Amino acid sequence: MSDFLVVQNITQVFGTRKPTFAVDDVSFRIPERASIVNLVGESGSGKSTIARIILGLSKPKSGDVYYKGTSIFTRNAEWQRQFRCEVQAVFQDPYSAYNPFYKIERILNISIRKFKLVNNPSEAKARIEESLRAVDLRPDEILGKYPHQLSGGQRQRVMLARVHLIRPRLIIADEPVSMVDAGMRATVLNILMEFQAQYNISSLFITHDLSTARYLGGEIIILYQGRIVERGETIQVTSKPLHPYAQLLISSIPIPDPDKRWRETLQFAPEVKSSQSQNRERCLYAERCPHVMEVCWKERPPLQTSPGKESSWHVACHLYSGNLKGSSLES
Amino acid sequence: MTTILQIRDLSVGLTGRSSIIQVLSNVDLEVDAGEILGVVGESGCGKSTLVVAILNLLELPQIFQTGEVIFISSDGKPRNLLKLTGDTLRQFRWRQMAYIPQGSMNALNPVLRVRKQMIETLTQHGMADREADEQIRLALQMVHLNQNVLDLYSHELSGGMRQRVIIATAISMHPAILIADEPTTALDVVTQRLILQELARICRELGITIILVSHDMGVMAQTADRLAVMYAGRIVEIGTTNEVFKSSLHPYTQELIASIPNQSGEHVEGLAGEAPGPWNYPPGCRFHPRCPFVMEICRQQVPPSVEQRPSHWVSCHLFGKEESSNE
Repeated sequence: MSDFLVVQNITQVFGTRKPTFAVDDVSFRIPERASIVNLVGESGSGKSTIARIILGLSKPKSGDVYYKGTSIFTRNAEWQRQFRCEVQAVFQDPYSAYNPFYKIERILNISIRKFKLVNNPSEAKARIEESLRAVDLRPDEILGKYPHQLSGGQRQRVMLARVHLIRPRLIIADEPVSMVDAGMRATVLNILMEFQAQYNISSLFITHDLSTARYLGGEIIILYQGRIVERGETIQVTSKPLHPYAQLLISSIPIPDPDKRWRETLQFAPEVKSSQSQNRERCLYAERCPHVMEVCWKERPPLQTSPGKESSWHVACHLYSGNLKGSSLES
Repeated sequence: MTTILQIRDLSVGLTGRSSIIQVLSNVDLEVDAGEILGVVGESGCGKSTLVVAILNLLELPQIFQTGEVIFISSDGKPRNLLKLTGDTLRQFRWRQMAYIPQGSMNALNPVLRVRKQMIETLTQHGMADREADEQIRLALQMVHLNQNVLDLYSHELSGGMRQRVIIATAISMHPAILIADEPTTALDVVTQRLILQELARICRELGITIILVSHDMGVMAQTADRLAVMYAGRIVEIGTTNEVFKSSLHPYTQELIASIPNQSGEHVEGLAGEAPGPWNYPPGCRFHPRCPFVMEICRQQVPPSVEQRPSHWVSCHLFGKEESSNE
């Protein structure tokens, strides 16, 4: 159990009479050395539920999450305090994450006090200023202001200043740039990647925007209805996805180039007969899949290495299991 | 190409306690019949204010300062929309110009069935019940939705379905112009692609002109025929989508395109600095504090809009009649 963060077979179900599987038997691990894992999927695919579980904000119905070998749901208070300090969240909308009645320095001071980062107030001030400068903000412009007086890009960078201040080991970033303008987006991502390398921080990066994932690199996990359908190196998976859903997802990124417009017309997903939707021991993508076979309705495809690919590249699709000729799909 | 909408010298202000702050300044824009015109820019640049002004929907503290919005109907009769009031305006909206506001898919009433909400929109704009019922069924067919959504509540629909209900409502009276403000922002890429594809098809099949507002350059590249790029309350560049992407003229447009994280994953620089808000618009060209090619004239004079290439307009002192002496 020397692994850094291990997510083991977590399942989260909401509702009892008509249960919704938000997360369905998901396992993955995040290595310690400044690595990036991108968690990608459409809304409702379970991305944020997984983030909440890893942060310890909700407990999965089954499965467990281990941080440095210990379950994060342990009741040891000292361990929990340490965990909170080492694993930090960066949220989508920093505006709703800050107390609107607190000035920025107070928000940052709370982190310093809570985690006892410094010994005296003057040192605290110096640290805050240093962290603000690290994210390209001018302390004299930011300190003394309330969150609503800052622009969206500034607010998100204050959030990053907190990361710089606390220097966690792991960042759980839930859509950190989806509310940031196009021009500022690259700035925020660049700062994140810089910290990553400089302070040896790993991150789990949750996004529905595949171009962001591609920009960050690292590893990618593609979710569909709470299950992992494909994972592997970001560059490889996004350039030659194996799973039919991953292929659809990646071909649907709006490429900012009028010469590369979508050519084929996409069909709307057909409705599923309720008898089919009840059964979860099948491929959940079967009703939308252009390559659907009989087995897809009967068996849940296991997540396994794909033939002829790196051992880190996994796909959950019957097209690639056994000796079926899945290679016809790859192009 | 016939012009369907002419916006001339449109300025909108915000009334404060003691002064008026201008948020939209001297916008000139022509929209051709049957095209998809993209309006693109960062948040706060005035995109939404522009479309709200076109629709004559401004409410205090927003006020008109100057300009006119001329709608040329199919019989060739021009009308200034800003002069319409009361019932004439009500008859005009939705019949001639429909509007999909930002986030409207989340504005469906949760305690009313879809049918009631769609029909109400039509009857409020003067259609009889029976006819309205028929029209919404046709409209649902246009967006590939099953008729049974009429009996559902909005929480029973997915995000993509809700957005299609909104689009169906908007096209149900066959407007000449459809204005869609960020119609796909909250949707995942696959649903986004479906919705954009649907909008483009409706535009072609029903001959509806679409004004599409978005901050996403990818969406624009995929969908729009022409683009108007806005910065700090002004339009800085207008041209075909191809021209704007391939040979943009304005330094802001160039930086905006260069800052998009691209396919290959190579390092890109974000735009340095922040766009000014209406309360601190700089004098002269509003982009000058961030512009790499800034000249003395940029700090003092507002650059006029010049047609640098055929149908490609730019507002920048680098371009103009006299030979520019930059760099």
